[in-house]
Amino acid sequence: MNAPIRNENLQLLNGNHAVAWGVRLASPDVAPLYPITPQTPILEKLIDFKSADLLGTEILTPESEHSAMAAAVAASATGARVFSATSSQGLLLMHELLHYAAGSRLPIVLFNVNRTPAAPWGFWPDQIDSLSQRDTGWVQLYSETPQESLDTVIQAFRIAEASELPVMVNHDAFYVSHAVEPVSVPDQGAVELYLPKVDRSMWLDTDIGRAIGAPIGQDGWNRTRREMDAAMQTIVGLTKDAGKAWGEMSGRPYAPLELYRCDDAEVVFVTMGSMAGTAREAVDRLRESGVAAGLVKVRLFRPMPMADLHAALADIPCALVLDRNYSPGVGGVLHQELMAGFYGAENAPRIFGFLTGVGGTNVPVEMLEKLAVDYRQAKQNNNPIWVE
Amino acid sequence: MNSQPSTLWTHLSSETNHTGTWRSALPLYQNQPSPCHGACPVGGSIATWIKQVKDGDHYEAWLTLVDNNPFPAIAGRICHHPCETACNRAEHDETVGICSLERFVGDLALREGWSFPSPDVELSQSVAVIGGGPAGLSAAYQLRRQGLQVTLFEAREALGGLMRYGIPSYRLSPDILDGEVARITAMGIDLRLNAEVMDEKALTALHKDFDAVFLATGASLPKELPGLDYSQSFVLDSAAFLADEPEAQSSQTGEHILVIGGGSAALDVARTARRLGRKVTVLTLESEGHLPAQQVELDEASEEGIEFITGAMMQSAVGKDGSVTVHATKVDFQIGNAPGGFTAAPVAGSEFTIEVNTIIPAIGQDADLARWNGILNTSGPVINISGAHGKTSQPGIFAGGDVASMSRFVTQAIGMGKEAALGIVATLVDDADVVAPSQEPEVLLDRINTAYHVNHGRNTQGLAEVASRLETFDEVQQPLAPAQAQSEAERCFSCGTCTLCDNCFYYCPDVAIIKLEDGYEIKTDYCKGCGLCVAECPTGSIHMQEDIAS
Repeated sequence: MNAPIRNENLQLLNGNHAVAWGVRLASPDVAPLYPITPQTPILEKLIDFKSADLLGTEILTPESEHSAMAAAVAASATGARVFSATSSQGLLLMHELLHYAAGSRLPIVLFNVNRTPAAPWGFWPDQIDSLSQRDTGWVQLYSETPQESLDTVIQAFRIAEASELPVMVNHDAFYVSHAVEPVSVPDQGAVELYLPKVDRSMWLDTDIGRAIGAPIGQDGWNRTRREMDAAMQTIVGLTKDAGKAWGEMSGRPYAPLELYRCDDAEVVFVTMGSMAGTAREAVDRLRESGVAAGLVKVRLFRPMPMADLHAALADIPCALVLDRNYSPGVGGVLHQELMAGFYGAENAPRIFGFLTGVGGTNVPVEMLEKLAVDYRQAKQNNNPIWVE
Repeated sequence: MNSQPSTLWTHLSSETNHTGTWRSALPLYQNQPSPCHGACPVGGSIATWIKQVKDGDHYEAWLTLVDNNPFPAIAGRICHHPCETACNRAEHDETVGICSLERFVGDLALREGWSFPSPDVELSQSVAVIGGGPAGLSAAYQLRRQGLQVTLFEAREALGGLMRYGIPSYRLSPDILDGEVARITAMGIDLRLNAEVMDEKALTALHKDFDAVFLATGASLPKELPGLDYSQSFVLDSAAFLADEPEAQSSQTGEHILVIGGGSAALDVARTARRLGRKVTVLTLESEGHLPAQQVELDEASEEGIEFITGAMMQSAVGKDGSVTVHATKVDFQIGNAPGGFTAAPVAGSEFTIEVNTIIPAIGQDADLARWNGILNTSGPVINISGAHGKTSQPGIFAGGDVASMSRFVTQAIGMGKEAALGIVATLVDDADVVAPSQEPEVLLDRINTAYHVNHGRNTQGLAEVASRLETFDEVQQPLAPAQAQSEAERCFSCGTCTLCDNCFYYCPDVAIIKLEDGYEIKTDYCKGCGLCVAECPTGSIHMQEDIAS
């Protein structure tokens, strides 16, 4: 991060309130919402805006997340711009409708606050809730800071509406959702220019009399997945365009990957979300101590920008993947994605997978420094490594 | 934006999937009787007329009411309302005030001067109705509605029977009685007042002259209390006392009156006596909590300063110089197993005395059956009738009300008059359209989705101030204001009577409910039997049934 702040409209906002500001600026038509810790401040802030007449969005409060996403699907199918937000158990309850929304090619934007799923019961930052939804057909973006969350939620609408795929933006519970920092709030008029209303290629309208998602034969169903695949192929480019245009407007450009001090690096951390902040600090300290370290922050997780990753790691001998998640029986999900993506590639780096901060445990800068020192010249090991 | 519409955007429809074949249970949309209807002595369509009140269709509500009972203003005042006892809403908050709503509609009809329509056809069949009380008037009304020719014989000079001569005007104003009776006589009834059908010979003659006879002579003979000498001047007959004008009532009674009995008639006597300025004590055999009078009557009587001695029995009364010493004993009152049965053994050593001036026993009335010896079976306490339609052992003679029932409720008599009239019509008129009562089970609370019914206590009728009550014979219970009546009508669950709320239509996930003008139909090709429509029905008008056919 550390992008220059050009806009002087600075407010002290936590991550969730920054999301609510992003939603207010994107001005969706409908927002079905169900509260859950630690997402609730998003809902509360939106209702504050609504009650103060600062938000034109129709806010629905149905009886569950399943119903919230069902309402989002229905509203979006009519052509409305739709936002929702949830976390952990709520996202898991939405699971059936996540497939439905993507299969219906509805550009819904969903904000998920990453939290440990039960059991055991907990409220801690961990990304397995959203990573376990990776096959539902949603684009997934991960944010490191409140400023990035505000900026990304607006970009997400642009990506969703251009691709007709739903987009899920994630940030870590508490470390981002409840942490306060100065956030630059863009001008409403500038956002409207950035995010104009876009016509859909299909929508429900009784005057047209066509259905979305009616029963279909095997061949037809197969075609819908090919069409989805084609749409997924556009996402990396759309994410780049959206990030670049945002940079031109706000002074804060974004890309699917953020590279930090990767030039001439002998070892890089690869991670997502708030862990990137710790890793960035570790990189600076390692550089000071003479270790050529770098950071690759993955913003766009699905689809994985694999060509960009190949380019980023082309001359780097060692990649340390830091996963704040654990897929039982496999290991870290980002680690597995990289292993698969680099399989058979020429000059692939040695890739190590570390299970760091699973369940929200503390990951000190020193821990990462030590990993870099210990593993930068280690032999390839495919097994995930639990870090204490 | 995609330039080509996706494969997803089709002219296909989910109607191609006949999801109904997955079903093992099918919802049945069917209006079914409510518990209040089942309990109602006149078989009133209570949920229907309350919905009409709720919708502001007051005239329609009155028409529905008078289908079964020509006396809604009267019943709304004095009915013992078993409907309210049966009301499903009791377990939610409080029962619906059905009686007060009925009074609201009944009073409105009288104020507006609504009258009964003339019969569609005039028929030649003739019926003699003997007795102008609630049973006789109810039968005469129902027979005239069907076009039969009715001649009504009443022994006294005015119609109404017990409603006129037994119920004091502070419970039922004479204006109300006159208004509701006049509406019936206006239908064209050959009225014979002061015309007592004296005996078996007279009845036999009527049986011959008319196509049918309905006997509703009530219960006019007072039950007598053992140990009380009825020839003494300090003993008054309760029925005669209630029938008298206040001046006569005053002149016959002393300062302290002992009323014996715990039923409505005893309380009517006691409360009338209080309005004459008398000190009143009520002595009941039944122990507290078991008195047959309605609780509201007991409460109002206590408010009016009447003293109760419950669980006690008079043994003797000795008069001397205008005062009477009553010897009594406490009893061990026990409810028996048989309906209405009890035991009341004197408790040794609990004897006591009270000094009074007048004793008015009101322990019930018997029917005078001896005069029908030779034409009807008079061996029982009442005339034996068979079936719902009041048929006696003598073909062509029907009976109803207190002469044929021990239940002693005005609305029970009205209901019996209605049923007998339907029986007479079925007997005399070819192709008569007599609808049999529904055999469907009643809709109980477990069928009502109470989430749709916000908790709201009952809208109660006001009562006149106690001090002013004792100065006049004006009505104690005050009518509901229109806004209260509206609110009370909205409390009705409408058990088993669809209110066309459209919940089933909107909640059905398979779009398998079709709206009709007066209800709904279920598309069996698509209904998967999920039961959401049943779960979301606020009135219990849809229920699931097994569907093995599909």
